[in-house]
Amino acid sequence: MIPVAYNLRSLAVRRTTTLATAFGVALVVFVLASARMLSEGIRRTLGQGGRADTAIVLRKGSDAELASSIEEPMVGLVLAAPGVARDSRGGGLGVGEVVVVITMEKAGMPGQVSNVLVRGVPDHVMQLRPEVRIVAGRPARPGTDEVIIGQRIAGRFVGLELGRSFELRKNRPVVVVGVFAAEGSSFESEIWGDLNTVRNSFGREGIVSSVRVRLESPAKFDAFAAAVAQDKQLGLEAMRETDFLRKASEGTAEFVGILGMLIALFFSIGAMIGAMITMYASIASRQREIGTLRALGFSRLSILASFLLEAVLLALLGGLVGAGMSLLMGFVRFSMINFATWSEVVFSFSPTVEIIGSALAFAAGMGVLGGLLPAVRAARLSPLQAIRG
Amino acid sequence: MAAPQGHLSPAEGAYRSEPQVRAIARLRGVRKVFQRGAERITVLDGLDLEVPDGSFEALMGPSGSGKTTLLNLIAGLDRPTAGTIEVAGANLTDMTDGELARWRARTIGFIFQSYNLMPVLTALENVELPLLLTKLPAAERRKRARTALRVVGLEHRLHHFPRQLSGGQEQRVAIARALVSDPQIIVADEPTGDLDRHSADEILDLLERLNKEFRKTILMVTHDPHAAERATIIRRLDKGALT
Repeated sequence: MIPVAYNLRSLAVRRTTTLATAFGVALVVFVLASARMLSEGIRRTLGQGGRADTAIVLRKGSDAELASSIEEPMVGLVLAAPGVARDSRGGGLGVGEVVVVITMEKAGMPGQVSNVLVRGVPDHVMQLRPEVRIVAGRPARPGTDEVIIGQRIAGRFVGLELGRSFELRKNRPVVVVGVFAAEGSSFESEIWGDLNTVRNSFGREGIVSSVRVRLESPAKFDAFAAAVAQDKQLGLEAMRETDFLRKASEGTAEFVGILGMLIALFFSIGAMIGAMITMYASIASRQREIGTLRALGFSRLSILASFLLEAVLLALLGGLVGAGMSLLMGFVRFSMINFATWSEVVFSFSPTVEIIGSALAFAAGMGVLGGLLPAVRAARLSPLQAIRG
Repeated sequence: MAAPQGHLSPAEGAYRSEPQVRAIARLRGVRKVFQRGAERITVLDGLDLEVPDGSFEALMGPSGSGKTTLLNLIAGLDRPTAGTIEVAGANLTDMTDGELARWRARTIGFIFQSYNLMPVLTALENVELPLLLTKLPAAERRKRARTALRVVGLEHRLHHFPRQLSGGQEQRVAIARALVSDPQIIVADEPTGDLDRHSADEILDLLERLNKEFRKTILMVTHDPHAAERATIIRRLDKGALT
């Protein structure tokens, strides 16, 4: 076989065209890897926080908390259903919560607004969500106009800072007394206030959006769900929290993933044409070298493999640069509307070995496709024709 | 200059005094016609030739006389339009492209007018190239390439790239590359064409030495009568026929 050093050094000698072509491939890999990292980040953010032993109950036919409405007396019936774990006082361990969306002005962007999700929670909510912890300030006192905010939206909207106040609704000011973390889940993009304060502010007295219950064990879910569904008067349905969150993240994550893939595919056509032009030019200027190799006894297949390898190396160089650039996106926070709640959620780009590996494989594939025709042309040159140049 | 070891087998005694009993290349009725647009150009026309094993032949003739075409046919780089070519016991006429490539790697060493070294490989790597087609281990390949470079007096330029060498030195690297796989025949197309007189003499000395010491059959195309004087046989071609 022709030594790899021959290909590597040939690329280095033509460094301007090599870098220009590699940059094209790098852009494609950057877009592809970044989109997939964002898609993964969305899945992790929206899908995180779910527990197998927790069920969420919504109005039948509602696939999101925002569209669900449950009368308060039904909460007690749900908590009394079989399979629900008991708290220290013997009551069913669960919470009824109300969810609303408000419009807020983005910090540092006068006139630009976005939706933020507000969750009205009862005072014992932390019993059900031990993963939530206060990272600044203190918890909100029950029955007051105090709220706590997720750490991902802290500072991103006007008034969402510790000690500052903002209007939950016109003439309904609330004050931020704490900032909480929730293991990177979408709760970190929410405002949590007292259940009754939120309900009263939005005229939803006596109503909750969802009921979350802790089950005695994950295996108890079927019996619990059957009991909830059996009572036609309730008109409710239960889902495992993990399934609910996965479903909520699917639409947004797939949208971003597919959009990224389409953009990358579109760009990749340009990058492949760039690689092809570079390789054709390279082969044209190295005809004598090719002819000499053929004269020395290297087969057509050796020549084909060598130039194909060179194209793949060129593309991989771009791929590595693009993958490196995409890894830097891990430091960037990105906000977008969650299709399930129509509120803004802050995501981070989540790199995985699989994403980086497949992006590099995509780059190599571009190298193969872009380099194949020029390599075939090189292999088909007759030694004499090539030596003459 | 140290004699190469192992695979290179220096002949003993003066070649000119030995009888020539075997033809290493035998051409019968060789015809070569090129098509240029609508025009058919007959370059070789029914040529018969026997090249004695161990000879140093110079092919001379005016431009377009067919000498380079003849050299390419004997080296297996081109195919005749008609006739048969037998070289080193192989009938080249019947071989496929792949078989010809393998045969060239085993049998022929090439020296070109413009040296044709790989510009991105060092002298040592250039000389090692033909050995990559063998099953020799890397260490052995390196050893043989060093030996070949020592034969041509370039043991101090192993890691230099062609651009760091003079024309004469480049051609010496090309000669080392031609002899490293111990071929039976070395074909040289105007090997001194791009060199000054002093460098040309050095190259001709080397070719003479390869012929006499290592008993390589050398076929050299040249315009230069001074270069042709070094050959044991001088053939002249004119209009596709030997004169």
